[in-house]
Amino acid sequence: MRAAFFPGCLIPIKYPQMEVAIRRTLPPLGIEIVDLEGFTCCPDPIFFQATDKIGWLTIAARNLCVAEEAGLEIFTICSGCTGTLSEAHQMLAEDEALRARVNRRLARIGKTYRGTTRVRHIVAYIRDQVGLDVIRESVKRPLDGVKVALHYGCHLLKPSNIMKVDDPDEPRILHQLIKAIGAEPVEHQERFLCCGKACVDPDLPMEMTRTVLRSVRDTGADCMGMICPTCFSSFDTGQLVIARKTGEKLEVPPVYYFQLLGLAQGLTPDEVGLSKHRIKPKALLEKVATAGA
Amino acid sequence: MIRVNPEARKRLLDVLGGNRVSFCYQCGACVGDCPSARFHESFNPREIMLAALMGGLDDLLAEDSPIWKCSNCYNCYERCPQDVRPVEVIIALKNLAREDGQTPGDVAAVHDMIVKTGRSAPMLSSLNRKRESMGLPPLSPINVEELQAILQPDEEGS
Repeated sequence: MRAAFFPGCLIPIKYPQMEVAIRRTLPPLGIEIVDLEGFTCCPDPIFFQATDKIGWLTIAARNLCVAEEAGLEIFTICSGCTGTLSEAHQMLAEDEALRARVNRRLARIGKTYRGTTRVRHIVAYIRDQVGLDVIRESVKRPLDGVKVALHYGCHLLKPSNIMKVDDPDEPRILHQLIKAIGAEPVEHQERFLCCGKACVDPDLPMEMTRTVLRSVRDTGADCMGMICPTCFSSFDTGQLVIARKTGEKLEVPPVYYFQLLGLAQGLTPDEVGLSKHRIKPKALLEKVATAGA
Repeated sequence: MIRVNPEARKRLLDVLGGNRVSFCYQCGACVGDCPSARFHESFNPREIMLAALMGGLDDLLAEDSPIWKCSNCYNCYERCPQDVRPVEVIIALKNLAREDGQTPGDVAAVHDMIVKTGRSAPMLSSLNRKRESMGLPPLSPINVEELQAILQPDEEGS
């Protein structure tokens, strides 16, 4: 299985440890990661789209062209990139006049988007293209007894008529992927609440983040499992902001799914970059250490 | 007395995603699952749709407009029985705010960084060394001229 790796911005620049986990965990699943030249920011689905919607669509179309020219489908590792590229793909597929308008702009750089590529978040790709059995077979050290509070975030699932990954009101995909590595998925009360990162407001992001974190803490889970670097930054550095502003220490460690997969495949906590997190997943690391290598 | 400003409304209908507001029948399904409404009493997507239907752009595009409190979670998009996609209408309003020079500084800064560098996060000169030490390839360079070329406005008559 070969697919074009769309790295986006946040992970390769701010959280390269997550990219390490991606590059280490996919080959054992039989995926050949293809690095293409020419990808840019997806671009940002929130602030860029809010400023120049047609420009947003055009840059996304240019990125889709890069994969289309290589004859490959794209896998993304960030929910924001997934949203931008999937929405752009869909809008250009269903609106011929819009596609013509965007292609007139792309003609300035000798490109045309024909709509033949496909975009999937890597969790959807491994569920559908690799299959849960192969993921289970790649596990050398099952994360027995590790409780992971799932946080799906918004843009993997919604808008569901475009994303087509799972039912946004009853998603199972991360439950399945967590079970496949031997850990136990835990549902927390506020599992559908947005992290609040996109709100331009002095209080809203912190209120939402804090509500989610308290809900996760109350489950007694060992860590929080997620698949989006924007959610991650809200819950990782966001906890430091909450502690500074309010004095509340939540100590809820967020972890990217592919770091957990890496641990289960036998990589060390350092190899998957867990030492780089602001909030260290102590309970998780103790359980992994007890499980032995 | 209720006044509708048809010219302002026309302005919104001409923006990508803005025209669906016409389908809104004010049922309020967008409010129940809205996280920004839950945590901020001044934010109400149904009221924003109503103001948009009336062409009330003066308030919606003002500096202190509630539109910027939207979390972009897409719950309203999922719930709306009329397929108005309130979040998309709000995004269309934000694009009009840009025309009026009312984009908040944080939002404009992300946009401008992407236009200038092709990336949404600042890249320190040490990044590729750090990546190399982690066994990662360097980030591929970005042809910013290409990006800027496709961001130029549409040609006349197209």
